[in-house]
Amino acid sequence: MALATEHVTEPAAAQRAPHPLRAEWVRGFAPWAGAAVLLTTGVTLWAKADQWQGGWSETAGQAHSVMLIALPLAAAAGCRHGGRERRRRTEELWGTTVRPPLARLLAAALPVAVWVALGYLLTAALAQLATWPYAQGDHPHLTLLPGDTAAMAAGALTGHVVGRAVPTRLAAPLLAMAGYVGLGMVTADRSAPGRVLSPTVGPLGVGLPVWWQPWAMAVWTGGLAVTAVLAYAARRRVTALLPLAAALAAGTLLVQTGNGLWHADPIARRQVCDTSLTPAVCVNARYAGMLPQVRDALAGITGKLRGVRNLPVRWADHGGAPHAGEAQLPGITPLGWSAVRGRLTDPEQFAWEAVAALEGYDCPEGPATAPELRADDAVEYYLAPTSAQKGIDEDDARGDAARRADLRERRAARARLAGTDERTRREWLSAYFAARADCDAEGVPAL
Amino acid sequence: MTGPLLYARSRALPATLAALAGTAAFALWAAGRLDAYLDPDRRVPIVALAPLLASAVIGASLYSASDELDRTAVHRWWPRRLGQLTALTALAALLVVPAVLGHADTFGPPAVIRNTLGCTGVTATAAVLLGARLSWLPAFAYVTAVYLGSSAARGRAATVWAWPMQPGAQPGAWAAALAAFTLGAALYAARGARPEGVGG
Repeated sequence: MALATEHVTEPAAAQRAPHPLRAEWVRGFAPWAGAAVLLTTGVTLWAKADQWQGGWSETAGQAHSVMLIALPLAAAAGCRHGGRERRRRTEELWGTTVRPPLARLLAAALPVAVWVALGYLLTAALAQLATWPYAQGDHPHLTLLPGDTAAMAAGALTGHVVGRAVPTRLAAPLLAMAGYVGLGMVTADRSAPGRVLSPTVGPLGVGLPVWWQPWAMAVWTGGLAVTAVLAYAARRRVTALLPLAAALAAGTLLVQTGNGLWHADPIARRQVCDTSLTPAVCVNARYAGMLPQVRDALAGITGKLRGVRNLPVRWADHGGAPHAGEAQLPGITPLGWSAVRGRLTDPEQFAWEAVAALEGYDCPEGPATAPELRADDAVEYYLAPTSAQKGIDEDDARGDAARRADLRERRAARARLAGTDERTRREWLSAYFAARADCDAEGVPAL
Repeated sequence: MTGPLLYARSRALPATLAALAGTAAFALWAAGRLDAYLDPDRRVPIVALAPLLASAVIGASLYSASDELDRTAVHRWWPRRLGQLTALTALAALLVVPAVLGHADTFGPPAVIRNTLGCTGVTATAAVLLGARLSWLPAFAYVTAVYLGSSAARGRAATVWAWPMQPGAQPGAWAAALAAFTLGAALYAARGARPEGVGG
């Protein structure tokens, strides 16, 4: 009995041989193409991680902008793979099989298309994961992903057809370079006609696409790729007209809508405030989690300003120019300078910039007089002394006679402001900020 | 035909020369559109990408159609290979210079020559390791990634790893590019391009 059982199981095991197309998917060039996309885009994103890690909107923007590299790479990978049968000299052999040309082409082309799209998706997913621990508000922006992924697959398919049709070694590198240069020019030139048709173009600043933009982009790029495939390999080439019509319809829709494809992110207009301080401290709702840090950085200033009148109501950060009676909060965005991964890089400098904003530096420029500059300097030194200021002082101390005299007067003014009693200082600061609020340089009180 | 001429034809040099000339013409045309007379920083795309394209063209010509036969020859191959690589690199460097005349301290002829050396070096190394057909890929991936990613890069290390994007007078970038070229030329002269199988 045992022998008989063995005879029965052996053919059953043989039937479980891998599918003939499995090798195309898991071996050879296709997985490597996906890895190349992952590596190239990953390194690019890693190199400028300071500028997006921690902001969901910035993360989405950067993940979209690496399409500029990923898409030419996908097309070149497809192009190289398309020339495979010619290099192997197996074209005639393929001609003897019963499968139609379209099935043969897709069997070779689809694995590369899927792998490069997966490589890009994985990069985008890793970027979201990298932002997650540092996010300070807002939510992940994944709207552009379907359009980008479809464009990657479409690029690889189109490249494959080019590789089949063009028998030269230079086809793949030229396609990559031309794609990169062409897409780069269209993306950089804000007035290029038909710019919205490029899958690399994204919203300006903190913007969102309308919900159907990624899907229209997917139909546009995918439609063109399917048109190329059908026109090259279909038995009835006239079927290529159908995806072409779909692509043209989607393209027309994109071009007609133009700048209407993007709208401002509503969350960027909201802010979160701490009104327990005077002036109140507000940060944009996109990074609401940074409010405690910003408040701590500015606590020294608000503590010294207790009881002072004529101050702006708040430091505001609502994505536009400050309203009347507001001072602009120093820029937390663009990320990578003042704030990196959800932390203020230099709270001391941030506080100094906040004092400068209180002083009303957005007044129309007039010739600043020496007493006025000394008053500004004394206020800055009293409210938010910085090491940069000390460096300037030391530099001036080594300078010529005029600079040394200026430094002496600055130090005297600082000493007078710091040395007066509490009440007099409050009165003086109230008068100072009243003059500053009115942009009245003449009215700045003497020290 | 004599030896060197036969060698040149066997490496598709006429087509390579034509492609290099095309690259130079394209760079000139693009430079004319950039309007960079006042702001040399606008030339960065040309300074970074024209040498990349030239190196891809050179890389494609580094193959040998009869690798096994070549190895049976009594001639030493390394002088020919080295001559081919250096001559093509020198020619490419000369051809891309007219697109970026002037502004030698920032993005002018020195920067574009340095990038030609560096990109060709990376491509030649890749031809030895990956084969001539894919030799353009590492340089393309590296330069385009640095192009997009190096805007925030600061510090001394960045002048080395972001060498394709540095101004012409940056010693660290020159050292990186020259090292890449020396390594690539030495490897290619010694080993030649990796033999291409019929597969892949």
